[in-house]
Amino acid sequence: MTAPSAIKTSAPDRSDFAQLTVQTWLEALPSPAVVLDGDMVLVAANGRAEDMLQSYPASVVGAIVNGPFRSIADRVRRIAGIETQAWFEHPLGGTWYYVTAYPVQARADGPVLQVVIATDITRQKHAEFEIRESEARLEEATRIAQLGTYKVYWDTEAVQWSPHMYVLHGLSPDSFVHTPDSYREIVHPEDRDLHERYRRNQLEGKALHGAEYRIIRKDGTMRWLRLDGRVLFDADGEPYASFGTCQDVTEGKQREQELKHLLRRNTILYEALDASPIGVAVLTTDGPRPEVFYVNAEFERLTGHKASSLAKRSIGALRAEDQSGVAGGEWDKVNLALQTSRAGAFELTCVRRDGTTFLGQLEVAPVRDHPGREATVFVLNLRDITIDRQRAEQLLQSQKMEALGQLSGGVAHEINNLLQPVLALSDLGQDIADTDPVKVRKYFEVIASSGRKARDVVRQVLTFARRDAPQLAAYPITALVEDALRLLQSGLPPEIKLMQQIEAGEAEALVNPTQVSQVVLNLVKNAADAMDGKGTVSVRLRSIDLDAAPAGALALAPGRWIELQVADAGCGMDAYTLSRVFEPFFTTKLAGKGTGLGLSVVYSIVVGWGGMLKLESEVDQGTTAMVYIPAAHSDAS
Amino acid sequence: MAHILLVEDSPEVSLSVREILASAGHTTEEAASGKEALKALKGSKFDAIVSDIWMPEMDGIALLKEIRGAGNDIPVVVISGGAPNAPLTYTAPLAATFGANLVVYKPFEKAELLKAIETVLAD
Repeated sequence: MTAPSAIKTSAPDRSDFAQLTVQTWLEALPSPAVVLDGDMVLVAANGRAEDMLQSYPASVVGAIVNGPFRSIADRVRRIAGIETQAWFEHPLGGTWYYVTAYPVQARADGPVLQVVIATDITRQKHAEFEIRESEARLEEATRIAQLGTYKVYWDTEAVQWSPHMYVLHGLSPDSFVHTPDSYREIVHPEDRDLHERYRRNQLEGKALHGAEYRIIRKDGTMRWLRLDGRVLFDADGEPYASFGTCQDVTEGKQREQELKHLLRRNTILYEALDASPIGVAVLTTDGPRPEVFYVNAEFERLTGHKASSLAKRSIGALRAEDQSGVAGGEWDKVNLALQTSRAGAFELTCVRRDGTTFLGQLEVAPVRDHPGREATVFVLNLRDITIDRQRAEQLLQSQKMEALGQLSGGVAHEINNLLQPVLALSDLGQDIADTDPVKVRKYFEVIASSGRKARDVVRQVLTFARRDAPQLAAYPITALVEDALRLLQSGLPPEIKLMQQIEAGEAEALVNPTQVSQVVLNLVKNAADAMDGKGTVSVRLRSIDLDAAPAGALALAPGRWIELQVADAGCGMDAYTLSRVFEPFFTTKLAGKGTGLGLSVVYSIVVGWGGMLKLESEVDQGTTAMVYIPAAHSDAS
Repeated sequence: MAHILLVEDSPEVSLSVREILASAGHTTEEAASGKEALKALKGSKFDAIVSDIWMPEMDGIALLKEIRGAGNDIPVVVISGGAPNAPLTYTAPLAATFGANLVVYKPFEKAELLKAIETVLAD
């Protein structure tokens, strides 16, 4: 905009004066002003109109308006005679003008002239544009954010909704009438009181932050909505309305619910794990080697380590240093299992935080994301089996003593039979010492041989009672089984018949002789008891070759085995009993009749040999025990 | 002096019993099982039987059942290797049940057996 210019007129006369008067008046106006006639001829213009006309006003007075102002002049002409307003943008200057045209008539029959006074409204226009633009941006933003906006007037409780508010509620702006009740019907019945509180709070001028409630749309779907609102104040600072946004938070709510569910699940799992009587550790392979990710309470108790002190460490933290090579070897096996993603159970010497050690049984189970892939997570179960081990050894020993007691009848019978000639012949020999030396010599031979036999029996008993860990070696199995049968026979009820089918010949078995007696004794005793002391117990011993299939069914390697079968025609066992007979102290016998250790001991002995014990039984038909004994290699051909 | 059937599977025990009986002037025939004993009973006449219990083929209990079952009331002395108080020894009471006149427990001395023979022969 240029500064007002000097008065542009011709020489002063009366009409000049009149001209001058108008001109002076025009120049006195603070805004651009022009006078047009009905033919769009510029009759007059002030200096301020220069920019609007894009010409020096004096130079275009008397000419038809042209240039940018032409269009507005044209509009003014078309509505001539009526006071009119318009605004336009000057195409060159970027200037906005608000134009008011006042029709004036100098004489009653004279032409109508238009006095056009323009106001530069560029600044207002720009402000208006900015507001529009920001409104548009807000609209876009709320559309993108799927935000609805609302306004509630306090005095009338009248409600204004943005279009998206209707979308959020699944409503049509044309059909929904806002009343407190009509909205209440949309709100989920359980949340109606809640929503009513929000509404009242707003009307009382309280701000809303994160008010959440459910609605049921017309189509029956449930949605979660969230309101955030504030109070609007008028020019006098008086609150008059609440304004706020509304968004659909259903998905977030669902995620929140899922998360809550997941958290609860986790809490339950963690609590359950902490209640477990077994130490549990979880390892992950986030680093170069599996490291502790989690341990439960029992694991902490067993090791004396807090979970935090084990976190990110290798399980080797429990490895007992300065142990015999055997312990170290087992730990190496654990590492190998972890490296190769294999499951396994290991007996290890473990060290607690305080440096004390315990015998631990550690089971490693790889957790695979996909079959065949290397595991990235491992679950470890840890038990302290120090006491179990001691107890098992005590059990074995006590069972041995029990078996020894059972053998004592047989042993006594043997010894008594051997003492008989010793006692009788030494007595008789004294009577005839001088008269019949030949007979006396014969007596001495019998006495000596009886003595030697008695010594063997005693040795056998002592071997049996010995506490030493059994050493396995190749023994002629036929002799061992026959010896055992002979010893136990006299301890059996007289109406129990032993039917023996000993067909193993010279076969040698990798066993411990004492344990063979224990196995035979226990099985035959059980068989006799199953028949109530009356009937036939069949004992069969033979060498057999197991093919892959039957061997696999017994979890044995195919090849040569020695099979000991002990069969009775007794009461048999049902499936439940059969499934438990290997448990220590599980007994079907009356109190005082047995400890119930028999089959569990037989099982542990046979498994200790690397063999297998299998039972077949049918109620009232009888039971057959089959013991598979490893054959010594020399006999394998 | 009596003629006695001695039923015993152990040759050493058999020898010692035979010698005890001979020392008192008794004569014996020997059998190593119940079956042999039944055969011997058919062939000869005896004043008494001295029998072991545990023997192969037919044991002393079965032998007693056969003899008493056939109505034969010949005196029988059972010689048992089972200790009288061993819990798993059923033999002695059974022997008495099945009709033994007396039970003598091994190892016995000369006098014990001879006294028993004397007793059953006197009844």
